[in-house]
Amino acid sequence: MSVIRPDETTARELAGMQPVGPSARPLDPRTGDGTLTEDNTKRAPLVLGERDFHSVTETVCGYIEKGPGRWWLPAFIGAAQVAGLMPIMIIYLIITGVGVWGLNNQIDWAWDITNFVFWIGIGHAGTLISAILCLLKQKWRTSINRAAEAMTIFAVICAGTFPGIHVGRVWMSWMLFPIPNSNAIWSNFSSPLLWDVFAVSTYATVSALFWYMGMIPDFATLRDRAALRLLGDKDRAPRLPIVGVKVDQVRAMVYGLLSGGWRFSARHWQNYEKAYLMLAGVSTPLVLSVHSIVSFDFATSILPGWHTTIFPPYFVAGAIFGGFAMVLLLLIPSRELCPGMKDFITRRHLENMAKIILLTGMMVGFAYFMEFFIAAYSANKYEIDVFVYNRLMPPFASEWFGTHRFAPYWWAYWAMIFCNVVTPQVFWFKKLRQNIGVIFTVAAFVTVGMWFERFVIIVTSLHRAFLPGEWHMFFPTAVDILTFVGSCGTFLTLYLLFMRFLPQFAMSEIKAVMPQADPHYYGHRGGGQAHGHGDGQDHGPDHGGGGGGGGGGHAAGVKHDPAGPGSPTTGGAA
Amino acid sequence: MSTIFPKWTNGLPTMLAGGAVTTLATVVGGVWYFATPKFWEVGYMPEQPGGGFNHQLHVGKLGMDCKYCHTYVEVSPEANIPHVSICYGCHSENKLQKYVDSPAHREKTEFVRTAYKTDMPIEWKRVHKLPDYVRNFPHHAHVNAGVSCISCHGNIGRQPVVWQHESLSMSWCLDCHRNPEPTLVAKDQVTRLFEVEQQMADPAAMKVAGKKYYEERQIAAPENCGACHY
Repeated sequence: MSVIRPDETTARELAGMQPVGPSARPLDPRTGDGTLTEDNTKRAPLVLGERDFHSVTETVCGYIEKGPGRWWLPAFIGAAQVAGLMPIMIIYLIITGVGVWGLNNQIDWAWDITNFVFWIGIGHAGTLISAILCLLKQKWRTSINRAAEAMTIFAVICAGTFPGIHVGRVWMSWMLFPIPNSNAIWSNFSSPLLWDVFAVSTYATVSALFWYMGMIPDFATLRDRAALRLLGDKDRAPRLPIVGVKVDQVRAMVYGLLSGGWRFSARHWQNYEKAYLMLAGVSTPLVLSVHSIVSFDFATSILPGWHTTIFPPYFVAGAIFGGFAMVLLLLIPSRELCPGMKDFITRRHLENMAKIILLTGMMVGFAYFMEFFIAAYSANKYEIDVFVYNRLMPPFASEWFGTHRFAPYWWAYWAMIFCNVVTPQVFWFKKLRQNIGVIFTVAAFVTVGMWFERFVIIVTSLHRAFLPGEWHMFFPTAVDILTFVGSCGTFLTLYLLFMRFLPQFAMSEIKAVMPQADPHYYGHRGGGQAHGHGDGQDHGPDHGGGGGGGGGGHAAGVKHDPAGPGSPTTGGAA
Repeated sequence: MSTIFPKWTNGLPTMLAGGAVTTLATVVGGVWYFATPKFWEVGYMPEQPGGGFNHQLHVGKLGMDCKYCHTYVEVSPEANIPHVSICYGCHSENKLQKYVDSPAHREKTEFVRTAYKTDMPIEWKRVHKLPDYVRNFPHHAHVNAGVSCISCHGNIGRQPVVWQHESLSMSWCLDCHRNPEPTLVAKDQVTRLFEVEQQMADPAAMKVAGKKYYEERQIAAPENCGACHY
């Protein structure tokens, strides 16, 4: 129990022991932390706290070397407990059979595929941020891309589990892949379910490559810092319990292995930039293709409610919508909990993401409306029946209209509409979309709503098919629910591990959008910070955009900076 | 900068890559060769009661027809295992003794007479068994189409104790269903194993003759899932 007195904080700041952050200062009511500026002649700063390059390295590496905070261990233990439910439930499922789920003859896809589509959709924000925003030179992505990419990987892991376990005989799930076998059974290449296997596995591979490749320079920084500490302090270095090996020794080895011999040479950076650009190019179609193909699982069938040409764009917009909500759900607590993170993830970042949620939410709302329009316009009575009597009609309304029929899942449909279409509308108001509490609440609603969207599409379409004799309701069992809860726990556990052991920010990229990275910065120093910021936004190097032919001068200070104590940190020293 | 890894680790990536390739090749090759019915099933030869019914002797040497014992093979899906009374028809006390009478033979076939007298079936062990998710394999359909016994069971007339001659894997079934002509023989030759064996030495001629039979008999070997699976 250590109490830090205010004067001690000031003293630490003055001594340079603690970075000066806006968190220490009162927020401006108009501009928040200074990034919500109204002045159109200036761009909002992307990194706060008047940081130099060294302090960025210190903060980001600090999350790994000192830990993200005391909250981490309890949070991790809690999340891991929940995550443990998942293997238990899966083992129970495999031992007993899919009968432990609430599936029946009519509703043969329910929570399993709902969860699959939910999780695979979550990942799309990561790919959008890392690929499309990179190609569009959106500099604000640099602070959130690493976390979003990590989230993508973890969401794909959760997603990939469900199709694997829903096949009933799990030990036959290798048949998802075209492998020659003594049954002479070959995959059905005309089935979208097989396209799904390829889409998701390609997506997982490319996302993992993108994520890992981006981390290589940061791994090298962590390696060098650990190796230098080993040189300096021989005996008092902390050691692992039981094994007795120095923690820094382990770090140097593990991060050394992961960094794959990265030496911060100009050639390395050049290759890195090229590879990054290429991977961004490869990933960009994936943002659109993966969820399009997931939507084909439904759209290519002839079931009313599934057989809809609007599905691919509708699913993609929904995936980005839900993905950004999940990014916000993760980043808002982390920036509160991790010291100094508010300097990188500013209020402007959150507002930008809120705007994307508003946009994609409107697209999703348009798709919901268009399904009804097409049903009415086509005058196909099965289509109309599905949308009105499987989804829309609440019991009280059916009395008003005198139809005597109502949709049993009306509550799920209206929950979806409320969460996905109504709640994001608050972001039209600047006051509300700049309020962190409101953003967090809406993001939570959207996440729930996107789960309901998949539930509505899958279960309500299936539960009443053409013959009334096959009409059934779906009731989830405890195993259904706990498997999903367990997958949320798995996701959170993996994310917490990421926060503890992997660099949460792309250090070199953040440095590239700082004013110091601007070639004119040092010449114009007298011009003040604001000028430096403005220029930095216009000419500063960015990954993918500025690499290669952009000129030798601009990146010299940043890209060749090992960011570790091994060589002088250019920004600070100059 | 200090070195983190000792010098010998320079060769590690190469070794790991080589090891990964070797492991992958071993696993794929191992599964390819070992994890198939061709490896596991072919050659299954359980020990039968009384040393087993000697097909080599009865079919090969004495020239008995398959249908003498497997009576329903032309009309039933099941190629029935004969009732012990069929064995007893020859191996009763006063029949074969006229021709072969030796204490050794008498002793060897005693279990047949015991089974007959006590009215207990002989517990033959099943050799050819399909998985439970395959419907009853229709022997009559195949026999009537002109598929010789030899195509699935090998030349039983050369097997002192019956063993499993083919893998009975699904791809093995499909190989024939996708290309049935070379296995078709004249209808009166289906059970004449040694004649068929000679014909099969010339696959080209089999193919030509098979084409004729295929059209004559209006065969349509099904390839849909429901043909074999419920």
